[in-house]
Amino acid sequence: MRVTNQMMTNNFRLHINRQATEMLTQQQRIASQKRVNKPSDDPDAMARILEHRSRLERIDQYDQHIERGKTRIEFTEQVLGQVSDLVNRARQIAEEKKGSNVSASERQTAAEEVKSIYDQVMQLANTRYENNYIFAGHQTDTAPFERNPPAGYDIQYNGDMGDYRMIVGENTEVALDADGSLYFHDSVNGGIDIFNELRDLIDGLENPNLAAGSTQIEATIDPLFDGREQVNLKRAELGPKIYQLDVTQQHWNTFKPKIEDALAKEENADITEAILILQSLEISYESTLATAARILEPGLLKFLQ
Amino acid sequence: MPQLNALLNIGANSLLLQQKSITVTGNNIANVNTPGYTRQRLAIETATPVQGLDGPVGYGARARNVERVYDKFIGVQINHENAGLGRWEAQKNSLERAEFTFNETEGYGLNQAFSQMWNAWNDLSLKPSGMTERVVLVTQSQFLADTFRTNYQDLKNVQDEIDAAVQSAVDEINRLTTEIADLNVKIIARETPGNDASAYRDRRELATKELANLIEINSFEDSEGRVMISSANGRVLVQAGDSFDLSTQINAQNHLDVYWSDSTGATNISTQINSGKLKGWLEARDTDIEGYKQQLDDLALTLMQEVNIAHGGGFGLDDSTGRDFFSGSGAADIKVHDDIVADVTRVAAADSLAGVPGDNGNAIEIANLQHKLAMSGNSATFDDSVNSLISTVGHDVRRAEIYQRQQISTMEYVENYRESISGVSLDEEMINLVKYQTAYDAAAKLITTAGEMLDTLLGLVR
Repeated sequence: MRVTNQMMTNNFRLHINRQATEMLTQQQRIASQKRVNKPSDDPDAMARILEHRSRLERIDQYDQHIERGKTRIEFTEQVLGQVSDLVNRARQIAEEKKGSNVSASERQTAAEEVKSIYDQVMQLANTRYENNYIFAGHQTDTAPFERNPPAGYDIQYNGDMGDYRMIVGENTEVALDADGSLYFHDSVNGGIDIFNELRDLIDGLENPNLAAGSTQIEATIDPLFDGREQVNLKRAELGPKIYQLDVTQQHWNTFKPKIEDALAKEENADITEAILILQSLEISYESTLATAARILEPGLLKFLQ
Repeated sequence: MPQLNALLNIGANSLLLQQKSITVTGNNIANVNTPGYTRQRLAIETATPVQGLDGPVGYGARARNVERVYDKFIGVQINHENAGLGRWEAQKNSLERAEFTFNETEGYGLNQAFSQMWNAWNDLSLKPSGMTERVVLVTQSQFLADTFRTNYQDLKNVQDEIDAAVQSAVDEINRLTTEIADLNVKIIARETPGNDASAYRDRRELATKELANLIEINSFEDSEGRVMISSANGRVLVQAGDSFDLSTQINAQNHLDVYWSDSTGATNISTQINSGKLKGWLEARDTDIEGYKQQLDDLALTLMQEVNIAHGGGFGLDDSTGRDFFSGSGAADIKVHDDIVADVTRVAAADSLAGVPGDNGNAIEIANLQHKLAMSGNSATFDDSVNSLISTVGHDVRRAEIYQRQQISTMEYVENYRESISGVSLDEEMINLVKYQTAYDAAAKLITTAGEMLDTLLGLVR
């Protein structure tokens, strides 16, 4: 086969181009630290990379939700704890002052204390977290409990039965009871209406008729005891919720590094490998150039005199 | 005496012959780097012998013709492969442009935009009465809509660029076919049997090769030396001295179609072009990129539908219901509804009127659309659909790259074969130069010898 000058120059040009292109690709990998710099570098890997990224975003989001949920629960727990103590104190007062030997003025002093307890419980029931009333069901913009009429001690519940739902996983939710009446005002479902009991206690303490008052007072002791239990029970219910959130968070925490690893494996360039490849490409490039110089130069012309 | 005369004639003829050979060699040397040049050779044969007293006597050599060293089958093969190369190159370049529009590797593309929007719905679900959350949600949703529109518009821009390339290719094709027809006439006029109009043929071959790169052709040289060229299922582009022009017209999709005209009118040949750059461009524009646009449209429409249905069933902070969240007819004009942008309290996070403001049921429902198998006949999520679109683009580019590289290799092989037959090797020509110069010297010596013999003879008479 004849070999002509254009053949040789064309061939060298093609080889040099090819090698230069490969070197460029490797350099790009090293500079960006990524193996996949455009979808066509590895289309299947690209799809997986995007999937991993989406998943990591979701996991971060779920983690946030869980953190906020846990904080809200802990907060709720604290509030209920204080309510429990207050209700207990009220019951103690009822125990102490139920006797017929207690004077009217003593009872009046006690009544003032119970009124103060009433207001504190109401304040606690109207707690806000992240600017929302947590015991108002879905009516999070309105204070759930108020005295109506304001002068008296009849309580009015302005909230509803809504609960607080949190997304903690794919199509997975955790719901918290936010219906204040279930906690403090539950005469409908056979529970204890704490506010009413406190009101009755106040009435009893303020009753000018000491004997009738004693009966009233005594009538509140057991309910107040049960009311405290009710609150504590609601507190206890929070336990499993926290546990569920913890477990879910744990799950995401173990899952996340695995996804991050998988993403890194698909996406990141192995710098050492890339540099080694680049070096060997440089060597072959130089060889091609050297060969070109040696072959293209000599010709018969040089030797003809 | 006749012998001596003959000797002088032989010597003189030889001198001229070697000189001619050197001229041909010189032409080859000068054209060593001319693209498409076919080397020439002086075909030498022995002259007709003369009848002498003792039988036929040789009468030296003479030139038969200047040969063009050429394999006509290789030309056809080169054109075929060049068409393939043009096609994949054009397709690859267009698809790479399309690939750039999906800015996914940097993380600023659709994948990221979707994630951020879903996150915003999630955040809203945690605090359905929040104003900040609503503002962020609207912002992220606008960003997603912007990304859709930008990607769609960029793809349209690539299609428009292709249109410009198609127009310019059609113009070039017409120029080339005119040139080839012109050369057909010149070649017929110039040639005599056995003497090729080599330079014209070279130019015609080059023009045909360039033409094949743009649009696949079938060429046929008749016995007179004229080349007939046809394309796209037998439409004649060049016949003898006539060329038939291609033209373009705008089609229903607002892009250019390629038309071929003859006496009966103009025919749309766009779908019948099988190779060449035109094919690469048209396929990229009408099949591949149009397909990407279609998928973007599907995504945008389904997203709008799903979100709007869910949103319409929910209640905003302002107690309103039945509102659309997105407005638009597809990826080209999707945006967050003006009413929502104007007043973010209209974002419907609550499931029921009574549930406002703490009810986050609707926000949860919309956030969960992320996992809904809403795409591809209820078998893929939005994220899946985006990812598969990007992957498809990557695969298409990859495929075009691989075919292009293959074609480059094939072209290299075929061109080398042509070169080995028709190309000029300087070393070879140098050898020829030495060869013919030596023969020239020898012929000169012959004449000198004949002259000396004549002198001797004349000296006898004196």
